[in-house]
Amino acid sequence: MSDTVDAVAIGLAFEMKSVTKAFPGTVAVDMVDFDVQAGEVHALVGENGAGKSTLMKIMAGSFNDYTGDVFINTKEVSLHSPSAAKKNGIEMIYQELSLALPISIAENVLVGRLPKKSFFLDKEKMNMETLRCLKMVGLDYLDPMTPVEEISQHEAQLVEIAKALGNNPCILVMDEPTSALSQEEVERLFEIIRNLKKRGLAIVYISHHLPEIFAIADRVTVLRDGKKIATKNVSEVTREEVVQMMVGRSVNEFYKHEAHTQKEETLRVENLSRFGFFHDINFRAYKGEIVGICGLSGAGRSELARVLVGLDDSDEGKLYLHDKELRIKNMAHALENGIAYLTENRKTEGLALRLDVRENVLAGLIPRHTKYGVYNQRLGTPLLNTLIKELSIIPPDPNRTVNNLSGGNQQKVLLAKWMACDTKVLILDEPTRGVDIGAKMTIHQSIERLAKEGVTIMLISSDLPELVALSNRVLIMRQGHFIREMQKSECTEESVLLAANGEGGE
Amino acid sequence: MMQTVQKESTQIETRLRTQSTFNRIFSTLGVYGVAVLFLLLGIILQISGVINNFLTAQNMLNIIDAVSLLGIVAMGMAFVTYSGHYADLSVPTTMALTGIVCVEMLKYGFFPAVIISFIVGLLVGGINAVAIGKFKANPIIWTLAVNYVSMGVIRLVWVNKQIYPDLKASSVKASVLFDNIYRFRFFDKIALPMVFLIILVIVCHFILQRTKFGVQLKLTGSARNVAKFSGVNVERVISIAFLLCAATATLGGLTVTSLSKVGAWYNGAGYDFKAVTAVVIGGMTLAGGRGSIIGVLGGVLIIGLMNNIMTLLGIGTFSQDMIRGAIFILVVGLNAKSLRSQGRDDA
Repeated sequence: MSDTVDAVAIGLAFEMKSVTKAFPGTVAVDMVDFDVQAGEVHALVGENGAGKSTLMKIMAGSFNDYTGDVFINTKEVSLHSPSAAKKNGIEMIYQELSLALPISIAENVLVGRLPKKSFFLDKEKMNMETLRCLKMVGLDYLDPMTPVEEISQHEAQLVEIAKALGNNPCILVMDEPTSALSQEEVERLFEIIRNLKKRGLAIVYISHHLPEIFAIADRVTVLRDGKKIATKNVSEVTREEVVQMMVGRSVNEFYKHEAHTQKEETLRVENLSRFGFFHDINFRAYKGEIVGICGLSGAGRSELARVLVGLDDSDEGKLYLHDKELRIKNMAHALENGIAYLTENRKTEGLALRLDVRENVLAGLIPRHTKYGVYNQRLGTPLLNTLIKELSIIPPDPNRTVNNLSGGNQQKVLLAKWMACDTKVLILDEPTRGVDIGAKMTIHQSIERLAKEGVTIMLISSDLPELVALSNRVLIMRQGHFIREMQKSECTEESVLLAANGEGGE
Repeated sequence: MMQTVQKESTQIETRLRTQSTFNRIFSTLGVYGVAVLFLLLGIILQISGVINNFLTAQNMLNIIDAVSLLGIVAMGMAFVTYSGHYADLSVPTTMALTGIVCVEMLKYGFFPAVIISFIVGLLVGGINAVAIGKFKANPIIWTLAVNYVSMGVIRLVWVNKQIYPDLKASSVKASVLFDNIYRFRFFDKIALPMVFLIILVIVCHFILQRTKFGVQLKLTGSARNVAKFSGVNVERVISIAFLLCAATATLGGLTVTSLSKVGAWYNGAGYDFKAVTAVVIGGMTLAGGRGSIIGVLGGVLIIGLMNNIMTLLGIGTFSQDMIRGAIFILVVGLNAKSLRSQGRDDA
């Protein structure tokens, strides 16, 4: 191992110049320059949708149609396939574990390069090589033959790193590596990262937990809307400055949402808990109000929404609708009571892609359009046409298969489905994820109209400008708790983001 | 950015235009086109003297009888396929079991026997419904297992006995009524099973197209999770599909037992695969949520004509099975390819 330490060349390990990647409807990464020195940890930050993960996927070779130049050790390379990325010494560590649980650590770590003795596996060599990799992450106390399912979560995370290191990479890309770790385990991980750094590895560290970045990174690059905003030495910036750069644009550019003064309570939740996901949630929501719920991924936002509409059971707590206690049995029951949930997973839970616009929009109204068991689709036609017009769904053809609509229009259809349902409480989970700016504006207008008409909207969004602009109040959720409530007057993108990071004072 | 949006929509338009011709061939109309082709094939074979009994009144009646029996079973099977649960493989034993039970119960009279058979059939369907609807068992493995278990019950209770309606019935009248399930003809021409089929086609078509259950079944078959998120009680919808399948299997079981005038364990053999083949040829994809009852009727006609021609040509039973299997594979394969070209990789 000692020989690798000496072999490290100090200098530019990885460089991207004017890299661009467009998707239908959006440019996810727009002319980004990015570089990492050997022996450096370079953090990559940005809001959701800023282009972090796309940039990472380009490094991993997931796209064969990006434009721009990539250099490794000052040699130009092309990362048009995952194997090309691997061959050039780039190793990825993803947020989700990619280990096969039932098989041994050794087989996981050495996958693709298992040592063989004629036809058979060379067990001895396998053990040695695995131990060599495990030692780099301080796990050499484990038996390489242990199945992965028998080791702890954080050990598995470290095995993942060991697996990456086993391929002798010169660049290691880590995506939210601490999301499943406790504070103590994070410290251990940082110790390992510092060691790797000393050995001259170039590390790209992607995270939206700012404190971690200030603890481990040397430089930080901020992305916003697919563009690079700045690259700074961590020692020369403050957290507030980083947040400022992440959030950027002048707030409330487009929206002038009037604060509603009606104080008629529609929804009240008391001590609601689903163990392991969220605890002791209390809040009230009023008629015509848009309540924003902000939190980092994993804070328990969607899990809360799923319980509110009866998709999951709660373990404790009560829910009151119009001051009457309600025990929601399932989604149909929630709908009957006027509570609806727009899922964040449009393609798997939101829309039946093979059916047409009409069938999708009217899906929630099937019981209402049925008389004596006979379903009358025509009853929904006037409503359908109004919604298509209001949301300007293009083409305005109710018989078009949803699969054959663009992403933005699919999202509009999904919103139309719940607007059709005549709800009292509408929970919107990332209602504008992955849509273009035009569709976004239309969706926002419709959300505001619904609120004006007295619907209580609960808006879960990682899109901070959207959240700040639309919400009358923002509830900050962190690690399963509501930690703070911010009134419209105190909400700025900066203050909300800082609060979601557990900072910014009470 | 406007450019990319523009580009996306033109791509979609092209995809819409180039959607595989297969869909058009196996659209409802296309299925009947294929049926007519088989009819023409039979006529040509007759004219050219290869076979000589195709275009006779008796043979046409044979075809219609066979089609009726298969059609009754396929109607129920169609609901299971439409719900996205591929097939109910417990159909053959359900048919045999309900037939045997009916013969056995003829000692209490004809109508009580029929009612008891339906209760038994729906019981088997209910077991499938609970396991697959509620507990999400794999439909293929589960119904296959149920098929074997009910077969075991038959073998255990009736050993290998074949039981005869005229020996079991309380009165001659009951036994005659039972024999007439298959043999009764209105005006000496229109057979009862055919009437059953016609009624079933109308009722099932209505159920699928116009009822709340039908609309919810379509949503469930197309995307189970989306249905759930739209407030559909998917467990109940899937359960009803399996119950309907069990009900038509029972009707088919009584008919086939009446045909052979004997209650025996082998009575429904082969009807699972024949029915699924008819359903799939009829344009219902194994992915669920696509196709129609009228299409399935066309699929049944094709299978009926094909079987008849193959028999007249003197092709053996085993070879016939092989040919049907090959056609099934071909249709499902083409279907999968066509769906994949539309960006879906399940079929």
